[in-house]
Amino acid sequence: MRDIKTIFVIDDDPIMRFGMRKMLSKISIKSEVFEFNNGQLGLEEVMARITSNKVLPEVIFLDINMPILNGWDFLEEFIRLEIKERILINIITSSIDPNDREKWLSFRAKTNHHIDFVNKPIYKIELNDLHKMDLAS
Amino acid sequence: MPNATALLDNDLNFISTSQGWKTLFSFLNENTKNNDQLECFKANNGEWFDLLTNCLINGKEISYRCAVSDTTILKHILWTFKPYRSIEKKILGIIVTAKDISETFERELQIEKLRTLLETKSEISKVGTWEYDLKSNKLSWSKMTKKIHEVPNDYKPDVDTAIEFYKLGHSRNKISMLVHNSMETGNKFQERLQIVTQKGNERWVLSSGKPLYKNGKIVKLLGTFQDIDEQVKSEIQVRENEKLLHTLVDNLPLNVYIKDIKSRKILVNKAECDFFGASNPNEILGKNNFDLYDEEMAKILREEDLQIMKNQTPMLAKEELLRKKDGTEVPLLVSKIPLTDVRGQTYALLGISMDISTLKEKEHELRHLIDVTSVQNKKLVNFAHIVSHNLRSHTANFSMLLEFLTNEKDESEKDRIVKMLSKASDNLLGTLDNLNEVVKINTNTNVTRESINLRASFDSVHENLIALFQKNKVQYENTIPKNLNVHGIPAYIESIILNLLTNAVKYKHPNRNPKITITAKKNENKVVLSIEDNGIGINLDKNGDKLFGMYKTFHDNKDARGIGLYISKNQIEAMGGSIIACSEINKGTTFKVYLNEGY
Repeated sequence: MRDIKTIFVIDDDPIMRFGMRKMLSKISIKSEVFEFNNGQLGLEEVMARITSNKVLPEVIFLDINMPILNGWDFLEEFIRLEIKERILINIITSSIDPNDREKWLSFRAKTNHHIDFVNKPIYKIELNDLHKMDLAS
Repeated sequence: MPNATALLDNDLNFISTSQGWKTLFSFLNENTKNNDQLECFKANNGEWFDLLTNCLINGKEISYRCAVSDTTILKHILWTFKPYRSIEKKILGIIVTAKDISETFERELQIEKLRTLLETKSEISKVGTWEYDLKSNKLSWSKMTKKIHEVPNDYKPDVDTAIEFYKLGHSRNKISMLVHNSMETGNKFQERLQIVTQKGNERWVLSSGKPLYKNGKIVKLLGTFQDIDEQVKSEIQVRENEKLLHTLVDNLPLNVYIKDIKSRKILVNKAECDFFGASNPNEILGKNNFDLYDEEMAKILREEDLQIMKNQTPMLAKEELLRKKDGTEVPLLVSKIPLTDVRGQTYALLGISMDISTLKEKEHELRHLIDVTSVQNKKLVNFAHIVSHNLRSHTANFSMLLEFLTNEKDESEKDRIVKMLSKASDNLLGTLDNLNEVVKINTNTNVTRESINLRASFDSVHENLIALFQKNKVQYENTIPKNLNVHGIPAYIESIILNLLTNAVKYKHPNRNPKITITAKKNENKVVLSIEDNGIGINLDKNGDKLFGMYKTFHDNKDARGIGLYISKNQIEAMGGSIIACSEINKGTTFKVYLNEGY
């Protein structure tokens, strides 16, 4: 199991961001959690880290409905970036629209990153959730 | 001519003959003697001799007619045998008188023939006769007349009973008057009337009469009496059938007409008259396609008529859009059937057409309704998604926060969570308010629309925004004509204006002062309102489909709630209008609002 040092939470809802941070604090890992208000800000940070050779997040929690750049648009851009590491992206959404599920599956098929789809509400994050892709790979 | 007389003795020998006798019978043989002549009669007619003998024995006078002939000539003779006696009453012989009645006989024969002929004729044509003698007040009927009255041959009519045979009412009144008139003024008459026969059958008769004058005075009325029952009844039947057909054709809710081979109308029913706005069939009869339709239409119709008449194939239930002379267009379901004569040649065209404009209208309405319904349905599905998504995200937050709260030991952290919960509750209420507003807009489509002065609406909203505009140094230009009115709901119009104007300020470009330009154009009845700004613009390629969506925001603006344009769009659509946007990043955005659609 490799260490998880950096986690991005991309969500426009402050309550959700609070909740994520709280749930992550429950599992005793020494990770740094970064919050982003929308996809655009998250993407800009990822790109900045690539250019400045800083570490990329191992795990990203991603909301779908956001202003400026929503979750899908973020993914569209993200999977085109040249990233060697395999990143775990957890889509956290309240959407029960079947179209959104299909979109998830199509992204999942298109990329080497591991993308999960989780319906709200969530109450707890297990350590294993953050290492899923280790098991998968 | 002296009488032809011969004197016979009681042995029936000729004693002497008169000159008249000799002349009468000279044709037999001039040389024969009297006795020989008698022999000749005997030979010719045994009966004649027998009667002569009878007369001699009985002593009674006898009249007898028979023909006398030789090979070429035949004479009808009326014989009178009269015995003559001595003083002692003894029969001495017979005086034979011969009267040539050939002519009378011929005439009688002729009359007999004529009578037979007349009877036959009257039998066939059912024409009887009658005769009324004014002086003796005697009425006589021919056999046929009696037969028509269904009375026995020995029936003796009189004037009163004859008139009583006529049916009570019109017929009886009429015949009384006619007969009376005829006797008084000498008028002839001929009238169709009804009688009730002896056996109680009603019968149509043609009764005619004319006076017969003698020394300038009317002495008799003569007349014929014809049974025309079958004829009248069949005439009535024909008339009734014709009337039935006419009533049927006239009252059919279909346009029916017959055109001759030159496409001129020769029969039209009421519906067809109504179709052309004619109060009388004569206004259309004789008119052709070119008289009734505009030239282009008439050419097409004439060609169609010709084809059908030429090919003799009916055209059935074809949908046509006919353009009348006044330019009105009417959709019709048209059938045209060629009519052929006994030689198989087309002589006319029967047309039956049905005005299907109401049907078409209904179809149109239905289609419109389907469109509206499917749009509404789409909206509903969309709205259901919005509701479920938005409510779900809030409830998910509640659920998560409550879970935290239950497991939290730390009091200050608990406080924090409760604050979060209260915020989540506010968010939910806000969302519910927004949803409620949208529902209201979509259910209040029946709110009465008014004529609204667009310029005045803008001015009123602008007044409320003056502080905001001054703070942001807005350059505001409104060129809407003062007299431009739109049809809509005042509250919606103001809400739309407010939303679009504040958006223009909200999304101003950071490097320049906002400039808002308002224009409006009226094309026929439709109004296009345009609100142009020089703000930051939106990437429509990316976000065009979401621009008017609910809770879609595109800028990192803390005031953006993602509800304004969604509500504006709903309000505009509720008024039957539409909205589009054109935008270029960093240059500005123009919203175009189409109002008065369908007015």
